[in-house]
Amino acid sequence: MLVDLIQQLFNGLVIGSIYTLVALGLTIIFGILGIAHFAHGSVAMFGGYLTFFFIQQFGIGLFPAMAVAMAVGALLGVVLERVAYHPVRNAPPINAFIIALGLTLIIEKANLLVFGVDQVIIPTGFDRVFNIGGVTLPELRVYILGIAAFLVVAMTILINRTWMGMAVRAVAQNRPAAILMGINVNTVSMFVFGLSSALGVAAGVLVGALFAVAPGVSGGLVVKGFAVLILGGLGSIPGAIIGGLVLGVSEAFASAFVSSAYKDVIAFLLMIGVLLIKPEGLMRRRSNR
Amino acid sequence: MIRLVLIAAVAFGGIAFPYLLTSNYFIHLAILAIIWMIVAQGANVIQGYTGYVSIAQAGFMGIGAYSSALLNLNAGWPVWICMIVSPLITAAASLIAGYPSLRVKGHYFAIVTLALNMVIFIVLVNWIPVTGGEGGIAGIPAPESIRIADIEISFLSRVNYYYLVLAALGLVMLIIAALLRSRVGLVLQAIRQNETMAEAAGVACWRYKLFSFVFSASLAGFAGSLYAHYMSFLSPAPFSVDHSLNAILAVILGGSGTLAGPLVGAGLTVALPEILRIADSYRLIIYGVGLVIVVIFLPRGLVPWLSDLVRRAVRGRTGKPTEGR
Repeated sequence: MLVDLIQQLFNGLVIGSIYTLVALGLTIIFGILGIAHFAHGSVAMFGGYLTFFFIQQFGIGLFPAMAVAMAVGALLGVVLERVAYHPVRNAPPINAFIIALGLTLIIEKANLLVFGVDQVIIPTGFDRVFNIGGVTLPELRVYILGIAAFLVVAMTILINRTWMGMAVRAVAQNRPAAILMGINVNTVSMFVFGLSSALGVAAGVLVGALFAVAPGVSGGLVVKGFAVLILGGLGSIPGAIIGGLVLGVSEAFASAFVSSAYKDVIAFLLMIGVLLIKPEGLMRRRSNR
Repeated sequence: MIRLVLIAAVAFGGIAFPYLLTSNYFIHLAILAIIWMIVAQGANVIQGYTGYVSIAQAGFMGIGAYSSALLNLNAGWPVWICMIVSPLITAAASLIAGYPSLRVKGHYFAIVTLALNMVIFIVLVNWIPVTGGEGGIAGIPAPESIRIADIEISFLSRVNYYYLVLAALGLVMLIIAALLRSRVGLVLQAIRQNETMAEAAGVACWRYKLFSFVFSASLAGFAGSLYAHYMSFLSPAPFSVDHSLNAILAVILGGSGTLAGPLVGAGLTVALPEILRIADSYRLIIYGVGLVIVVIFLPRGLVPWLSDLVRRAVRGRTGKPTEGR
């Protein structure tokens, strides 16, 4: 029984780390721009396809392919911000949301046109399976956890220790004051979209290696990302990390011990429960929106 | 004056439609469009007038459709009764769901309702003994034919069903128009404009928000029932999040917070994909691009934009200012 618990905890942390990557991208965009960037999941899938394409066409390894895909994803994010979100920055928030829906359609279908309708699994070559005291740890899953942890730490350092990160935090805290201090909000917006899209692409690649990149995956991914945001509090980075892991673990337990068909329902019930008890999210003291 | 003429023209056009375009395909599209107009009218109440975006309309439509079909097939209730009861069942479901959801505002609310729609969808797919899962439910009968004087009206005929949904839409619009003129309607619009102020003026906002949510959901449930007995086959697919987004798009495209907006918007969201079929696989991309362009350049939607144009033209000709709405 204990072995089962630890096994499911491990599985949950692996999935949860991917949710965290998705949610981090969503949460920094929300914190800075107040946009629910619904197309994030499609961008992630785009990155997954692109990585697969690089590996197949140029025979380069997983990590170089992933790095290039993340760079392309960052560029795509900047373009989206400039072309689509920037013009509606002063309109009511619902307009940005509709833009996000339009972008989702565009990117989703462009993926279909460019990469085809088949699902692809990104080849990694990590096929070994470790076994520690009855708990099976597939090599791939261990690496996923490692990669996700590395990216989360890298992003935290970027946000907390660099000048650009300081500008991002300043805009999130108080936009008018940040503008008065001479921070170029446009640059910050573009930076945030680039960073967030790169993280999204990384999440897409990990999903593609663990399960598959396929049409229709992106919607579920982005909704899980938002569920994490609700759990952790919109705009909160620690909230996204904790929320992602909590969601992943509770899903793993739910599918192992209750029903795998209804695991998503349980995730959403958790979300509604948090809303009832602590509407501002687990990691926030009070709501300031 | 222009307004009355327009309303009369639209009503006449709606009634004459089956005689103008006799093709079965067009009547089929028109029935679907009208069903979606009812959903969009419901979405408009919560989204356009109350200012809360609910992404669960298609899910509620599913609850209405399945409950209507199941009550008819398993409990043997007449279709007409099912059509009245299913919106009530949807209302009950939305009451339970709305209470926790409405504790939060803005994006939170949108996301929670989105999750709610996913839950409904997952249940429809996985509760196989009741809903039939992906396989769906087949053989849902049309409403029983009714007899007026000596003429028997059968709803197996497409044209007759068209008039049924048209009458339903008319009824829904009358109810909404009356609602908007009532105190409740005014409070809802006050909530959209400034919820804090409405609260400060002594309005128990949550009651009105809950009412608005439940009302819009029950309209979606009603539309679902109409859909079920028209299609005679139900599967979970039309009740996914995508279609909730469609309802929102209909409201935004047409113009949120106007009575005519959802009609135009829903008509377009049904017609555009059919028209754009020429472009085949590029269709949805064009659809998305169009959407982005409309939101950037016509943020208030088509109907307010057109009525502004008309008003400006009228004012230009007569030289005297017309009253604002």
